[in-house]
Amino acid sequence: MFFDYNAEKTRKDFPILEKPIVYFDNACMSLKPIQVIDKINEYYKEYTACAGRSAHRFASRVEEEVDKSRNEVRKFINAGSAKEIIFTRNTTEGINLVANCLEFENGDNIIISDKEHNSNLIPWLKLSKKGIKVLIVATKEDGTLDMEDLKSKIDEKTKLVSIVFTSNVDGVVNPIKEIVKICRKNGSLVLVDGAQAAPSMNIDVKSLDVDFLAFSGHKMLGPTGTGILYGKEKALENLPQFIVGGETVTDSTHESYNMEELPMRFEAGLQDYAGIIGLGEACKYLKRIGMDHISKHEIKLNEIITEKLISNPRISVLGPKEAKKRSGIFSFNIKGMNALDISKMLDVSKGIMTRAGMHCVHSWFNKRRINGSVRASLYLYNTEEECNLFVNEVEKILRM
Amino acid sequence: MVLCIIALPVFAILGIFSVKYRKLTLDSLDCIFRTVTFRKCRSSLDDRIKSYMAGKTLKVSPVLSGVIYKNYKLISWIILIIFLWSIYGTSVGIYNYAQYGNCNGPSDTGFCMLDPTGQNTKTSEIEVDKQSKVIYAKLEGDDPIIGNKNAELTIIEFGCYACPYTKKAEPTVKEVLDYYKGKVNLQFKTFYIPHHNMSYRSALAANCAQEQGKYIEYHNSLFENQEQLNEALLHELANNLGMNITKFDECLLAEKYKNEVESDTLAGVHAGVAGTPTFFVNEQKIVGPKPLRTFKTIIDEELKKPGK
Repeated sequence: MFFDYNAEKTRKDFPILEKPIVYFDNACMSLKPIQVIDKINEYYKEYTACAGRSAHRFASRVEEEVDKSRNEVRKFINAGSAKEIIFTRNTTEGINLVANCLEFENGDNIIISDKEHNSNLIPWLKLSKKGIKVLIVATKEDGTLDMEDLKSKIDEKTKLVSIVFTSNVDGVVNPIKEIVKICRKNGSLVLVDGAQAAPSMNIDVKSLDVDFLAFSGHKMLGPTGTGILYGKEKALENLPQFIVGGETVTDSTHESYNMEELPMRFEAGLQDYAGIIGLGEACKYLKRIGMDHISKHEIKLNEIITEKLISNPRISVLGPKEAKKRSGIFSFNIKGMNALDISKMLDVSKGIMTRAGMHCVHSWFNKRRINGSVRASLYLYNTEEECNLFVNEVEKILRM
Repeated sequence: MVLCIIALPVFAILGIFSVKYRKLTLDSLDCIFRTVTFRKCRSSLDDRIKSYMAGKTLKVSPVLSGVIYKNYKLISWIILIIFLWSIYGTSVGIYNYAQYGNCNGPSDTGFCMLDPTGQNTKTSEIEVDKQSKVIYAKLEGDDPIIGNKNAELTIIEFGCYACPYTKKAEPTVKEVLDYYKGKVNLQFKTFYIPHHNMSYRSALAANCAQEQGKYIEYHNSLFENQEQLNEALLHELANNLGMNITKFDECLLAEKYKNEVESDTLAGVHAGVAGTPTFFVNEQKIVGPKPLRTFKTIIDEELKKPGK
């Protein structure tokens, strides 16, 4: 038990943890608590219908539940209004929405870091083919962002700074507040990729003052295929529509149409209501546990692993040496061994599930000529005992 | 790449039943194809198998796991060689089975991968030189002929009345004689096997029965009662067949046909008989109990020869 938080109690909410597994692949996908599973089932069992179209009791119930869910998400990130919450399929879709809708002028540039997930790299590279410059800010040897490099690159032509909050490679958290301040001086917009941050830390969009924040439901106990794009109301109002069709208009003729209000104008077609409702439940669950508890718990577990393994000369850890700077991520390599082999061995020998590879951040690995890494990512239901088992198995591999 | 060669046929067969294995079959194929065209294997199936094996052994011993991990290529080659050898051995076994009714081939000298202990082609072995240069037996002596005495072809059988394998072959012998009625007969030569109790005495008794013209009946009775063979039974069987029992007992007591039994056995030894039953169809040898089709293959061949 750490602080006031009891992971063992939390584990009881996760039926899948009855299996003999150690799940350390949370940065890719989190497990789901029974509350979320039940909420999804409830939609299919009790009120399967469309929202915003029909007027019958099921439809009204769906609409009510979706509104509740949107409000839960709003509270989760402390957004000013539910209008600022757009449901998407995932972080990638949220970023693509902004990339496709923002209006650029010739000569504009976009700044990203050199440690972005492909989701926050490819959409911008695609734009670079249309004459928009993509400037890359370097990260330092310890994985932290080179703020001086950012300051030197940002200028009045910088339309947007799109940056990851918590890196999925090494867990380093970027100083978003500081970045926003720099951007404000230049009048640039800020889009934050919060896929890895949202599941593990308190996010207050008002306090951060970001223009956009994209994150996924599946990494934060929510259903797969659910995501959020937060946008300041003003920023969203100025944004043209992306995918249009059903539910994105209030009226149409054969010649024209009237745009729907926010946020529906960005939610085209029939939505994944069960997923959205489940995501709201996941936000509620996380809030109840307390994001600070989760964050501290992850770091504490990471400290256990780091302390026991970092001194081994054959192990190289990606990112800063201090566990507290890597949130819940322990990304490492063993000299002379392939990351995929290590990950597979951990799974086969003790059911320890990690991820191996470049974690969709190929550009960062390729630049450093690193052939991927093994990533153990921790979450609220992981325990000290599991961390010790992981350490033991890694030590066995080191003795091979 | 090495293990992909093994994985390909294995997964291909399993793929008939499950989609999961079809994907693995394609991975194996891709891996082999890319490797032989000097490109990197994309599926990394080999690596997955390697880490799987290392992970499994990690539970037992990190050292053993390390040996597997570091010597994976060598281990793969060894497994591949064993695999190819197994395929070869199995194919030979299947061919032999189709051709001779057992996977050891016409004689019991061939190794059978599917029957490594040779249970299905066992004979009662004796201490003789298996490499004897004389490989066929001659039709000689006054040993009784079973079947048409003027038949075109004679099968010579070296058998022992106390040998369970000789008994096991009896129904097939009858089938053969029945199938080639008139064309083929059989000369049974008693082959004395010291470690079979009653082998010698039964052989003597059969010769004594022949003296009274009751050979075939007594021969059959001996096999029918093989499990209970003893001195009293030899006497009883003769009595049951209506033989002159005094004459029979005197013959047996005096070991009247001792030389005959020893000479038959010696003839077998000279012919390279290493166990019973052993059959000779002219120069071709059939060892152990074999099905009808084995005899048919050889007999048909012999009957087609000129002069038959």
